[in-house]
Amino acid sequence: MPEMAGLDEGGPLFAQVAERLAGEIADGGLAEGERVPSTNELAAFYRINPATAAKGINVLADDGLLEKRRGIGMFVATGARRRLLARRRAEFTERYLSPMLSEAARLGIDADELFALIKEAGHERGGVPV
Amino acid sequence: MTPVISVTGLTRRYRDQVALDDVSVTIGAGSITGLLGRNGAGKTTLLRILAGQEFPSSGSVRIFGLPPAENESVLRRLVLVREDQTYPDINVRHALRAASWFHPNWDSALASSLLDDFGVRANKAVKNLSRGQRSALGITIGLAARAAVTLFDEPYAGLDAVARQIFYDRLLADYADFPRTVLLSTHLIDEAAALFENVVVIDRGRVVLDTAADGLRGMVTTVSGPVLAVDSFTEGRPVWERRTLGSQASVVTVGQVSCEDRERARSLGLDLTPLSLQQLVVRASGWSAGAGYLATRTSA
Amino acid sequence: MNTMIKIARYHLTQPVMFPGLPWATLAFAFAVNVARGGDNFRDGVVVIFTMFFIAGVQRIGRWLPFSLALGATRRSFYAGTALLGVSMSLVSGLVIAGLQAIERATGGWGLSITFFRVPYLLNGPWYATWLTSFVGLSALFVYGMWYGAVYRRWGAPGVLAFIAFQVLVTLAVALPEPGRVWSFLYSWSYVGEHLASLSALDLTGVAAALAVVFLVGGHATIRRAAV
Repeated sequence: MPEMAGLDEGGPLFAQVAERLAGEIADGGLAEGERVPSTNELAAFYRINPATAAKGINVLADDGLLEKRRGIGMFVATGARRRLLARRRAEFTERYLSPMLSEAARLGIDADELFALIKEAGHERGGVPV
Repeated sequence: MTPVISVTGLTRRYRDQVALDDVSVTIGAGSITGLLGRNGAGKTTLLRILAGQEFPSSGSVRIFGLPPAENESVLRRLVLVREDQTYPDINVRHALRAASWFHPNWDSALASSLLDDFGVRANKAVKNLSRGQRSALGITIGLAARAAVTLFDEPYAGLDAVARQIFYDRLLADYADFPRTVLLSTHLIDEAAALFENVVVIDRGRVVLDTAADGLRGMVTTVSGPVLAVDSFTEGRPVWERRTLGSQASVVTVGQVSCEDRERARSLGLDLTPLSLQQLVVRASGWSAGAGYLATRTSA
Repeated sequence: MNTMIKIARYHLTQPVMFPGLPWATLAFAFAVNVARGGDNFRDGVVVIFTMFFIAGVQRIGRWLPFSLALGATRRSFYAGTALLGVSMSLVSGLVIAGLQAIERATGGWGLSITFFRVPYLLNGPWYATWLTSFVGLSALFVYGMWYGAVYRRWGAPGVLAFIAFQVLVTLAVALPEPGRVWSFLYSWSYVGEHLASLSALDLTGVAAALAVVFLVGGHATIRRAAV
């Protein structure tokens, strides 16, 4: 399969496109008020059908994360980043903590050891406040 | 969806075999549909009938509401690129000139640019072209025609992977600027999978799958790991295939996998791998149990 | 642009094989005649008639598939090809009449050659020669077209059956008097005797009638030809 710039067969392509755009907004790569790539630009980049790209954009637009400016294109809505980060915070436990805890349990790492490991990793990374 | 191509109960019989058996399918305007299936499944026959080059034994075919055979108003807006196209004793330039007279939306600049992309010289006789160059010529005609209905029948014979990617890229780019109804038959499914909005799978003359491509992605997953964990995870899920080796098992299961599922699988030490479109089509084509199941679950 | 004209233009993207080859063959035969001098290649102009027949076969047989790929209907392709053949016949007939006139005026090109004159058929005034050549070339071209259509529809076995069918029809026509069949088969002079009772103009009429039959037959055949 040709590299679709990281898209895979794991789920509907349009959903993956939406997720990546959302990720870009959350990371600050796409600032509020900035223009989002057009359907055709996304299709060319990912080498996918333009309709699929359009669907992905519409998912975010329907969610209020993108707003349409007639004749110009799609732009990141105000407050989009804030909302996305809040959402990810809410998912943080489920997405990252639970798997970590399960794996720790599997390996027989108790709570104290776990905290120690986290601290150590934080120092190595340089500046994670733990 | 505005149907552009409507096929109902289409059957094509030859003396010793049935090439198409009661095929019914609808293709909407402005979409790219993959026509998939094994060699000899009936894809070429279907495309030839759609282009009016072959006749049905029974059933009806309508394009823009009219039967295509011998119908100039339909054929003017249609182009079929065939892998096995025969040309008269002409050269590439003549072929393109003739095509420009017959296709109202013909774009000469695009045609020249495509010939350059594929490295085909315009004054070469078609009969002296290599297989790949002939395919390139066919693709050039198919794309530059900008026909409202564009049919490709495995148009990449003799083209290497790089040239095929050029084809997919040019197709997508021109389709984005000039939307049309595209039907692309191929047996190299994974390469082209991202192009398709819809897929129609034909096996032994019958339609076994007709659905949106995105609906298929992630639909079927291989779950592998320790036997007990696998069985626990897949309990209550339809299973297509189950293989074991010692304490390990690998099961093919149907149904979308959610985030919670993924997390649960990871906690159980399981590996989840979604089936690619190509693998799905392979199953739909030969694996009757799987095909039947897919058909009932995903028909659009 | 009318589709039939598009088809004629399509054919003329390759003018070398037609009308080039028939005329080249004629020129070659003429050159051979001149080189050998005298009476060695009587009625040599017949060669171009054979070549028009072959061209008819080729122009349907080899040019149909791509024309359908271009989006022409079989009907318009057939009509356009016939139009081409008839046009070429019209022009070629005029040229033959002209060359015949020159041949007469120069006493057979100074060598007593009767290349452009055929007893009974092409021996009259220039307009008669033009008409007979025109109809003859057209009829043969269209006859060839029918063969091309049969080939496209039923392949080589079809062509064999087509020939057999024609032989049977001819026999059926001649059969009421069986004696005729044998003399027909064994003596070409019989044909000459029989035909001599008809004038060149009558024969031209017969050829024209046959041309119509061939056109209708070829069209009926090509309508369901698959590519």
